[in-house]
Amino acid sequence: MKKFVAFIGKLLLIIVLSAVVLDVLYTAVYLKSSKRNKIEYVYNSKDKNFDVIFMGSSRTQNHMVAKIFNEKGISAYNFGMSGSKLDETALLLKLMLERNYKIKNIILDVDLNLNSNSKSNLVKAMYMPYLQCSQTIRNHYKTEEDYNKLVYIPFYRYIENDAMIGFREMFLSIVKKKSNALDNFGYFPLKRNGKNMSYDLSDYSPKRNFAYEEIKAICKKNNIHLIAITTPMCRECPSDEYFNNIKSVYPEVYNYENKVTDDKYFSSCGHMNVEGATLFTTIILNDFIQHKFNN
Amino acid sequence: MFFNSLDFAIFLPIVFLLYWFMPNKSKASQNLILIISSFYFYSWWDWRFLFLLLFSTLIVYFAALEIEKSVSITSRKIWLWTTIIASLGFLGIFKYYDFFATSFADLVNGFGLNVSPLLLKLILPVGISFYTFHGLSYIIDIYFKRIKAERNIVDYALFVSYFPLLVAGPIERATHLLPQLTVKREFNFEKAKEGIYQIIWGLVKKVVIADTCAMYANAVFDHYTTMNSLSLILGAVYFAFQIYGDFSGYSDIALGTSKLFGIDLLKNFDHPYFSRDIAEFWRKWHISLTTWFRDYIYIPLGGSRGSKLFQIRNVFIIFLVSGFWHGANWTYIAWGFINALYFIPLLVLNRNRNNLDAFKISFNLNSFQILINITITFTITCLAWIFFRAKTIHDAISYIKRMVTDLHFASQYFSIERYNYEIIYMILLFVIVEWNSRYKIEPLSGKYSWLKVSLSIMAIIAFGIFTDYKNFIYFQF
Repeated sequence: MKKFVAFIGKLLLIIVLSAVVLDVLYTAVYLKSSKRNKIEYVYNSKDKNFDVIFMGSSRTQNHMVAKIFNEKGISAYNFGMSGSKLDETALLLKLMLERNYKIKNIILDVDLNLNSNSKSNLVKAMYMPYLQCSQTIRNHYKTEEDYNKLVYIPFYRYIENDAMIGFREMFLSIVKKKSNALDNFGYFPLKRNGKNMSYDLSDYSPKRNFAYEEIKAICKKNNIHLIAITTPMCRECPSDEYFNNIKSVYPEVYNYENKVTDDKYFSSCGHMNVEGATLFTTIILNDFIQHKFNN
Repeated sequence: MFFNSLDFAIFLPIVFLLYWFMPNKSKASQNLILIISSFYFYSWWDWRFLFLLLFSTLIVYFAALEIEKSVSITSRKIWLWTTIIASLGFLGIFKYYDFFATSFADLVNGFGLNVSPLLLKLILPVGISFYTFHGLSYIIDIYFKRIKAERNIVDYALFVSYFPLLVAGPIERATHLLPQLTVKREFNFEKAKEGIYQIIWGLVKKVVIADTCAMYANAVFDHYTTMNSLSLILGAVYFAFQIYGDFSGYSDIALGTSKLFGIDLLKNFDHPYFSRDIAEFWRKWHISLTTWFRDYIYIPLGGSRGSKLFQIRNVFIIFLVSGFWHGANWTYIAWGFINALYFIPLLVLNRNRNNLDAFKISFNLNSFQILINITITFTITCLAWIFFRAKTIHDAISYIKRMVTDLHFASQYFSIERYNYEIIYMILLFVIVEWNSRYKIEPLSGKYSWLKVSLSIMAIIAFGIFTDYKNFIYFQF
């Protein structure tokens, strides 16, 4: 039995060492990578200046053509992330400020994310490689149930999020394979036209959102002009009630859900195609230039 | 409690410590610890089904004693058939009732009548097919006087409920397992070490190979109507490795776990994808079930005695029953039927026992022939797996039709954000390792074992799929 105990001891040592070695390797790779997603782009950049940044979910990522702003001499970037909820958006903003970004205006798409205070595990996963190195990220996730496991068990955060930051993603980072997340100043164009689109918002109701309120507080503290908006949905989406109710919870939100309505501008019910995004961004740009958001 | 879960990683060491380090160690106390652990392990899924397991155990236990006591053949027969009917009755109600009711209603509706079946919609108790077959093998062996009835109820209950084999086998025989349970086990370092190696390799098969292949196979099978020929071919191959990694991985963990308690279980897999014909495949795949059907159905039916027509009938029965054992769905029956079709030509030509020997590969024509035969056997096996995996027979036929008619071979991008060729390297590496260790229990022992163990552990940690524990396919049977 003594031999077996020693054997198990060696085995446990191998398990711990393997986890530590893999953790160090993966983290080292992600710390040097900046071409695969917006979070690592922000983490590995410093002192950036923007007149406008766009933040939110895929409805920001696919709707705001930052190039149109840049062509008018307004430096802009689309930091919308597919799947992101307002919680991860708040963290991205905090990370930007930690990296000494200077931002004048944020156009934040809040619409469907005001339906709940939920968080996105997919986007959270992309923050995990920096958990040990960024105080901001650590503080943000301090209240999470598995915080101690994520911080103190080597490689746990990679095992938990293997679909997003597992071997495949690490390997693509090692070979420096660029993703399209950072093309077009962060805007991701949807090319196809949708058919028979519809979406049911009847179960949706806007609620107080703690992450949104945190974003508001951060912006106020850092003298950033925050413009919260809603963005268009396809025609077969009875949405007036939900979007009108947003006004009653947060009166400062600007309603744009009916600014583009024709289905030819949509790729799916909640996501516009290139033509729709271009039209919509032009509307936002005009309102921005005409100082309509300063009321 | 899944073998690939954190719960099991805590459960197993606790049972191990209690088992080997309790004071006054005896066979009785060892068995008592194992039976309590087994019931706890089983109740992890649903404690209510524990009563079904206990009831099934008690029926067979007392019936066996009655058969042994009976003097007249009639009385023995009555006890045997009562037990068989009761055991299969439970299985039938929980597993097959809804299938038969629906199929019957479909048949009647086909004649223009309008019948809606009364469905029970029961949850299938985990492992019911396995522990029912344990009990049946025991009672049949008692009836034929191959073994004596076990009088110690704890020992018998442990034979049925021993946790490493309780939910997905191997399907043990009383002649093999019971004698081990009736004596006190002594700790054997070499056996325990072998068990650990087997557990590690089983985990590699399950969490690295099977669960990764599952991701790709699901992406193909769930959207087969949009897939091209290459993706559909690869989808079938991915599923072949998924089911092999899943079930043989489970069996390795079960056998390895049992060795930690000094108990040997029946070997369930012997590198089946390196078989030279389908008969050899069935001697190497799910061995404990195949031999069960051989001993308790095929041979009593007459086996390979009698005319060729008679033998063909027996082969069809055995494969159809085997397919049906897997689940109440026509797809499993079709899978069994197809395997019977593969087998019949070998039987007719008296070639079904051609490849009993081990083989070596070198640079000659014979080796080339062997490799070709292995490739052909694997290919037809993959075709049959399509029926096993598809939701309906219609889906399986459409899948195959599209695979052979689409004829586009560009790599496709899946909704899981992966390309359809990405895991081929992993599968190839796995095949090489399995090939080089095809005459061993597992590939980790022997020279450089610590290096191999370290690499396997790294593979489990780095490549394993752990986000929500992936269920073992055979748990549903």
